[in-house]
Amino acid sequence: MKSKTEAKRLAILNAASEVFREVGFERASMSDIRARIGGSKATLYNYFPSKEKLFFEVMHQAKTREVDEALGMLNPEADDLKQELLRFGQKFLAVLYSPDAIAIRHLTIAESRRSDSGKLSFERAVVPHEKQLAEFLKKAMKRGQLRTADAKIAAIHLLSLLESELLQRVLLGVLDSVKPEVISGAVRRAVEVFMSGYQRR
Amino acid sequence: MQVKSDIKRQAILETAYRLFRAQGFDKTSMAEITAQVGGSKATVYSHFPSKEELFVECMMAALENYMSGTLKHLDASRTDPRLALLNFGSSVLNFICSPEQLEVRRLIIAEAARSGTGKLFFDKIAALRTQLSAFLAACMASGSLRRSDPELASEQLGAMLEAEMLEPLLLQVREDSPDERETARAAKRAVDAFLRAYAPAGRQALQLKQCPN
Repeated sequence: MKSKTEAKRLAILNAASEVFREVGFERASMSDIRARIGGSKATLYNYFPSKEKLFFEVMHQAKTREVDEALGMLNPEADDLKQELLRFGQKFLAVLYSPDAIAIRHLTIAESRRSDSGKLSFERAVVPHEKQLAEFLKKAMKRGQLRTADAKIAAIHLLSLLESELLQRVLLGVLDSVKPEVISGAVRRAVEVFMSGYQRR
Repeated sequence: MQVKSDIKRQAILETAYRLFRAQGFDKTSMAEITAQVGGSKATVYSHFPSKEELFVECMMAALENYMSGTLKHLDASRTDPRLALLNFGSSVLNFICSPEQLEVRRLIIAEAARSGTGKLFFDKIAALRTQLSAFLAACMASGSLRRSDPELASEQLGAMLEAEMLEPLLLQVREDSPDERETARAAKRAVDAFLRAYAPAGRQALQLKQCPN
């Protein structure tokens, strides 16, 4: 029955998420994960053929859906573009800079030396998100809310500005959690600079 | 002339760099580094008080050597700001997108969380960034950029420069490093957007007349 299957899948993902966070990707084993949920190893492999796949699914589940939601909130009909971007930026950073997401990001970069997990997460999460944001910005350009420019580059610039005060600090472990008020300040400054860089003159 | 202890220090840095890159931080010991350099452990410790500090020093050595050259682009009195930033930006991108530096960056990030070396790296990087902030502050003072927080502006410029290429390279989505034409184009897009954003109030930045995009 489908709901039972889905419940099992979710249980595996939750257990895996815990194990990865506790011991890291490298030291985590499929046996550890199986031990938390019970059942046979064969069942586990039936759902996820490898540790890499499971790792990616955990990330995918934790981050992608929430970023999708943030992007979904962008209203292309809205008159106040800045307000839309502020709201999006707030949600985007709250998702990306939660302690879970930070831990996963560290792992992804470290593991990209050994497996294709980094590549998978980039292709399946970052690329579609950039594309969706670019489509939104393109509409804003057509409506005259921004100057005409390469929308993909504009999207990449906006995302990098949003992260500019936080990314390096977090990757280097100088900041291990980011307070909401830090996020709102960073978002305001990033969106202001983006708007001046891409406004019509 | 290099003094003897500088030569020793250099030898320790080179050996440590090679071992850390080959085996990672955890699996490399001070004893192994000493054995390969020769001499006593006490000598190694007299140059580098801990394995963490040695790790940071040797990973940053290439960056510091490189930056001392590239920071020469940032002379506010001699060139126009746009040209200076374009040269600086392309130069930085060529360096950080090289396979060796990408590998170093992955290693630094991987170790940062575990060994507590991240703060040491951050301080080093912040010291280098200060020179970009000083350049931007000079541009703000002379009126070629609007007055704002130069430190924030330097972080934003740094992020925009890296934005197009660093992440796919770091995650090995793309394997080949960009060539100089590609980094020059990315630097141009970042610098132009940055200069528009920081154009002095009430007028278009002079520099923009030369860049229709």
